[in-house]
Amino acid sequence: MINRTTARLMAICVACVATTAMAQTAVAQDNTTPPAQAGAGAAAATSGNAPVAAPAGDAPVVKAEGGKLVLPNGQDMTPDHMENGRWYNSEGIPTFKTAEDGTIDYATFSGYRRYSAECHVCHGPDGEGSTYAPALKNSVLTMDYYQFQEIVASGKQEVSKANNLVMPAFGTNKNVWCYIDDIYVYLLARGAGDLPRGRPAKKEAKSDDFTTQENSCMEG
Amino acid sequence: MKRLLQGATMALLLSGSSVLANDSVLAEVGKPGQWAIQTGDYANTRYSTLDSINKDNVKDMRVAWTFSTGVLRGHEGSPLVIGDVMYVHTPFPNNIFALDLKDGGKILWRYEPQQDPNVIAVMCCDTVSRGPAYADGMIIFHQADTTLIALDAKTGELKWSVKTGDPAIGETNTATVMPVKDKVIVGVSGGEYGVRGRVTAYNLADGKEVWKAYSTGPDAEMLVDPEKTMVLGKPIGADSSLKSWEGDQWKIGGGTTWGWYSYDPELNLVYYGTGNPSTWNPAQRPGDNKWSMTIMARDADTGMAKWFYQMTPHDEWDFDGVNEMILTNQAIDGTERKLLTHFDRNGLGYTLDRESGELLVAQKYDPAVNWTTGVDMDPNSETFGRPAVVAQYSTEQNGEDTNSTGICPAALGTKDQQPAAFSPKTNLFYVPTNHVCMDYEPFRVAYTAGQPYVGATLSMYPAPNSHGGMGNFIAWDNTKGEIKWSLPEQFSVWSGALATAGDIVFYGTLEGYLKAVDAETGKELYKFKTPSGIIGNVMTYESGGKQYVAVLSGVGGWAGIGLAAGLTNPNEGLGAVGGYAALSQYTELGGQLTVFELPG
Repeated sequence: MINRTTARLMAICVACVATTAMAQTAVAQDNTTPPAQAGAGAAAATSGNAPVAAPAGDAPVVKAEGGKLVLPNGQDMTPDHMENGRWYNSEGIPTFKTAEDGTIDYATFSGYRRYSAECHVCHGPDGEGSTYAPALKNSVLTMDYYQFQEIVASGKQEVSKANNLVMPAFGTNKNVWCYIDDIYVYLLARGAGDLPRGRPAKKEAKSDDFTTQENSCMEG
Repeated sequence: MKRLLQGATMALLLSGSSVLANDSVLAEVGKPGQWAIQTGDYANTRYSTLDSINKDNVKDMRVAWTFSTGVLRGHEGSPLVIGDVMYVHTPFPNNIFALDLKDGGKILWRYEPQQDPNVIAVMCCDTVSRGPAYADGMIIFHQADTTLIALDAKTGELKWSVKTGDPAIGETNTATVMPVKDKVIVGVSGGEYGVRGRVTAYNLADGKEVWKAYSTGPDAEMLVDPEKTMVLGKPIGADSSLKSWEGDQWKIGGGTTWGWYSYDPELNLVYYGTGNPSTWNPAQRPGDNKWSMTIMARDADTGMAKWFYQMTPHDEWDFDGVNEMILTNQAIDGTERKLLTHFDRNGLGYTLDRESGELLVAQKYDPAVNWTTGVDMDPNSETFGRPAVVAQYSTEQNGEDTNSTGICPAALGTKDQQPAAFSPKTNLFYVPTNHVCMDYEPFRVAYTAGQPYVGATLSMYPAPNSHGGMGNFIAWDNTKGEIKWSLPEQFSVWSGALATAGDIVFYGTLEGYLKAVDAETGKELYKFKTPSGIIGNVMTYESGGKQYVAVLSGVGGWAGIGLAAGLTNPNEGLGAVGGYAALSQYTELGGQLTVFELPG
């Protein structure tokens, strides 16, 4: 199911232009940012006043209700079932899973690797943000999975005299798009505070299902 | 004393004594009160003979005036000064302001190009620009979107413009240009997008292309003569680049040219270095990947290669070879030589004979460097000129999907583009450095035109078992390959240095300090905190008979990406995470010029 959604989004966004994506994301509700910045999605977290990530050790942003993982936007991200080597919540949205000893699922580790290769040169190490690009570990807590996908696929621009924020469209880049769910769950794990900075120390082995799906995407 | 005189002779030779056809740039660079090209002089010494601000009075220095550029991104490069006019540039959108120094910095004209913001999406590391150059009454500037423009220096009127690259396939520009005689020489960025690097010369008069020399590919396209182009004393041979790649990989093989350019008017040679081979995954591109990571010497008129030296064959760490080549005349072992000194990203300081390309010195300029045990200096050896790679730190030998840990330096190098300075009075080089190490894990990537083509994950942290900071500012003896002194800095020193006849050296820090230190001892003599982190280069000029020192503030660039949130050391356990200083605790985005003077 998820694969189908991904494929559809990809098809849409190969054709759409960045401005359309902006218009779409502008509808997004963002309770933590003032109206002038609301809906700026990924860039909202830093487009105005806080270009640099807050230091580590902030107050937790994720509610734990009876062991459940609930985002500030109300989305329940508790892992429910595994499919093709990746974890999903009860609504079929990708999520991460951490064992009691801190071992993370393989997709989250894969997301760490791809994030660090493809996103890090603007968004800084560990989803922490740079001087000009937002801390995505925070962005994923306030936008939903579909908004995240749209922005990554189509890109996004906020251009002003003082500062030009431009996010490329990655919809046709297999190095990103074949791992988009992995990057999402990695950032989610970072934002939820379940995953410390740096390279994840312990991870599950890569499953055959994961490998099959990865190969078919990269070679397809 | 002899040394001192030799140094002084060098400065004269390279700054205005020889008379060549159309050498207006030499004449402008030769005026000590001006700053006509970004590097100060063709030799890239970043040395000024101005000495009214000196080591005895610099402690009294104060801010004379300031100017806000209106742009809040990483500000690299420096202003130019020609006569009584200062030219200030900004990062994307690449505005240029002409300021009247006789009228309180009044804006005489401004140039505000309309560039497609989509260009930003293919700039790897912030929207920096290392500024314009002055030649023949024109301001020559290479914009981010690879439009090369010539503006009338008096009016700002566009005289000509030419497109040098294609952002749709990841070709952009961050570098300055170098005007030489009747031409202007430009490079290209995009090593993280599989761009094929090259250097191109255009006519100063009308912007017509004169010659183009690729870093990779067939000999004819590289402007290489198989018999006459030399590599470590031997002819380069036929198809040297093609033989060092698998199949057609050289076409997307990088070797971009986004660093600095220098020029020796007597030898008529242009010098520069080429960048990393694409991708960052070495297993995906077997061979030496020539001529990425190479120092190149080319004839300024024809572009024909005189000699090459590849510093890091088959790069495994992203150690671009683009840093500046500093040209000096000094004695080595009692013999006067025409030298080229280069502080490479790979952590080695090289001294070569710039006429022949002979390798004279290759030594680590940060003791933390560990990926190599050193360069083979035996001309009779099979591996002459090659660095010996330590297996433990070889991301090629450890293989794809393996995390190689504790590699020093990190990918940003012991030094990046931030240029060093040379004082002929001390015969020392003053070098801003990074003191950062990394873990590096390469993996397979697919190439898509205009999309990042990286293929490695890396995490960076301050050099272990050291002072805990991420930078040093050092003084270097290039004839011996020795550090004379080293000043620890909390952050990487990402600002270009300036040495002056006042026996002081200036540099900026990422926290935003402009610092002045004693050229002999390194003793700190002055510091002032500017509004934002400094990644620009310090310059000096004279106006109305008075010396000024100027620097751009505006944190960003690679430093703004890697250091904004602070670095972590995964090898020190969870307790240390976030324990290192974050740049965000010290500074914010900015875009400001600060000009300093002595009271009175």
